[in-house]
Amino acid sequence: MSCHGTAPLPLPVLAPGAAAPTRVLLVGGPNVGKSTLFNALTGARQHTTNAPGTTVELATGSWRTAVAGGRPAVQRAVVDLPGTYSLLARSADEQVSADAVRELAQHAGAQAGTPGVVVLVLDATALARSLYLLAQVAETGVPVVVALTMLDLAAATGSPTSHVPPETLAAVLEGVVGVPVVPVEARNRADDGVLELARAVDAVAAHPRQVTDLNLAAPAPSCGCATAGDPPAPAPARSGMVGADLTLELAHAEALFAWVEQAVARVTAALTPDAAPGDRPATSASPRRSFSDRVDGVLLNPWAGIPVFLAVVWVLFELTTRVAAPLIDLIDRLVSGPVAGGLTALLGAVGLGDTWIQGFLVDGLLAGIGTVLTFVPVIAVMFAALGVLEDSGYLARAAFVADRAMRSLGLDGRALLPLIVGFGCNLPAFAATRTLPHARQRLLTGLLIPLTSCSARLTVYILLAGAFFPRHAGTVIFGMYVLSVLLVLGAGLLLRRTAFRDVHAGPLILVLPPYQHPHLRTLGMSVRMRVGAFVVGAGKLIVATMLVVWVLMALPASGQHTIGDVPIKESVYGEIAAGIAPVLAPAGFGNEHAAAALMTGFVAKEVVVGSFAQSFAVDEPGDPSVAGSLGDRLRDTFDESSGGHGGAAALAFMVFVLAYTPCVAVLAEQRRLFGWRPTASALGVQLVVAWALAVAVFQVGSRL
Amino acid sequence: MTLHESPVGASFRVTAVRLSAPAALRLSEMGIRLGTLAYVSQRAAFGGRVVAVAGSRFALDGGTAGLIDVEALAGRP
Repeated sequence: MSCHGTAPLPLPVLAPGAAAPTRVLLVGGPNVGKSTLFNALTGARQHTTNAPGTTVELATGSWRTAVAGGRPAVQRAVVDLPGTYSLLARSADEQVSADAVRELAQHAGAQAGTPGVVVLVLDATALARSLYLLAQVAETGVPVVVALTMLDLAAATGSPTSHVPPETLAAVLEGVVGVPVVPVEARNRADDGVLELARAVDAVAAHPRQVTDLNLAAPAPSCGCATAGDPPAPAPARSGMVGADLTLELAHAEALFAWVEQAVARVTAALTPDAAPGDRPATSASPRRSFSDRVDGVLLNPWAGIPVFLAVVWVLFELTTRVAAPLIDLIDRLVSGPVAGGLTALLGAVGLGDTWIQGFLVDGLLAGIGTVLTFVPVIAVMFAALGVLEDSGYLARAAFVADRAMRSLGLDGRALLPLIVGFGCNLPAFAATRTLPHARQRLLTGLLIPLTSCSARLTVYILLAGAFFPRHAGTVIFGMYVLSVLLVLGAGLLLRRTAFRDVHAGPLILVLPPYQHPHLRTLGMSVRMRVGAFVVGAGKLIVATMLVVWVLMALPASGQHTIGDVPIKESVYGEIAAGIAPVLAPAGFGNEHAAAALMTGFVAKEVVVGSFAQSFAVDEPGDPSVAGSLGDRLRDTFDESSGGHGGAAALAFMVFVLAYTPCVAVLAEQRRLFGWRPTASALGVQLVVAWALAVAVFQVGSRL
Repeated sequence: MTLHESPVGASFRVTAVRLSAPAALRLSEMGIRLGTLAYVSQRAAFGGRVVAVAGSRFALDGGTAGLIDVEALAGRP
């Protein structure tokens, strides 16, 4: 039974025939090297998944160590829990960590089933903060092993642990806290700390040890989860602790703080035995400016901080657009050229050439897979760039610098990053939401991203603005971007006052990790795992949608054509477009050409211009600003469907393109990250808002 | 005097935290409590402050810094 009736955490797939593995939970604060340790333990045997019933992403993996004498390797199932400073959770992410620890404690207390151990990742640069979390974890009764990390950075902080050999510090700490403490330098492949950690975990799983002198009376847990066998209680709103609960928690926290202070004092005394208490190194602040302080002097400077942040965002923007573009083109050419050619030749050789099966496999299935693959470079580049920012320590600074800009929307400063990236491409912007620490903030940001006008929509603006407003095309396009910003702000404020009233910007209190250089191997493993999750998770829906579109285009609406050989206008797709057209009439573009283009735009906005050209049976212009005969046909059609107000109808069409679903890839990623319900709701709301705005624009514009 | 009013480089001792109880508890859990000795290591835009405590650096927005009362100490602690 989990604390709040949630399902147990998922475990990684293990080798067939393997014995029940020890469950290992990695618990620690943000930026303490937990994920680096996870990568060192699991190597390539890892994947991401959401915690049951939540949108909180977890990394799970299998941790194997060889055993001498030809016996099978020992396997442990490792879960990398979201970083937290405390088991008194303040967010869905922290609640997942707290619940997982308590669930494991119940299993351990029951003396049955799978054994489990918490590996508490203790930051050597912040002993007191880490020891507080250790005390909370130990109080649950779960077996604990401490992994001592950030040793290389501790020397630069001026803390009592400076210039102390890792083994000495670990031994002193172990003597003070009473549970195994293993120094681990996870970035160093030659370090034998991981093997030592494995021994400690196995030993503690078999013979649990208790943290020394931690005989505190824990407050009666309001979640009712302390006793195995109790019925699950409803989830308490820990962030809204009130009354007796809060008083108990505060009193208990004070007792834990006292234990922590004693523990730190004992460690300090043990490390400086010859010094009188008054002469021991100060534990309250650094006696000198560190390297990070000097860098922050520039990056957080009141005048330079914001320009630096904007420069970083600009680099991200460029990486996901210009830098990724050649790779996207390469994959696109490869799939649509040699691969499609090869598959076509193969089908021809087996007698299926020029059949609907060929169309289904080449133009449907392969094109769908190709679409998924073209997103891989942009997603990988974004994850890699975010990893560099996160590992280097800058991301926390970005949250601090951009805090004021996002505060009115109740969002963390880091939310500004995906919202700006969204103007390049919405898909990597979703990748950037993972940097937000709270699930509800990630969801709110994820609902706003589709309103940022991505570059794919720009081709539609250029085509229509050039065709209908040739002398003011630039102004019209600029206006679309202004409208996009207003939509993000308006929707954000509206959502915050309605469905997201629980999301609010509380006091900003961030721990700024020391700057350090990113570790390429760890970064590469993380990127590979996350890209894999996208390809598998979102790719299926993208391919399925592409197949459905192909089938609708291939099926003739009447018996005059055969499957796979039918003009779009006379296909089921064309019939649906014709059926939708009257709904669009109040917006001035109630014609089947516009309806078909919008349907195609649901798959990808890049193909809207091509859809218009195909629909009008004219050549697609190489440069959409010089529309040629396509422009003539568009003007004629929009003038006709709008009663002579083609310009207003074109403007309304552009607004519709801005506000409705960006593309199926975004939809698939939304579903993967947030689930079906919010995705379907967002889809419906976006369509309604797009229609209402387009109607308003046309109705006003046609009367001017 | 509040933390927000402390100049860069100034050392101080925390004397009162006027945040909501849950926020104050989280601040304590992170390492800033009554009696904590620290110094202001950096001033940031919009009144934000970076505070050094026992080897850690904390970023606080201007509003939060204004709700933490401190007493000045001579030199760095």
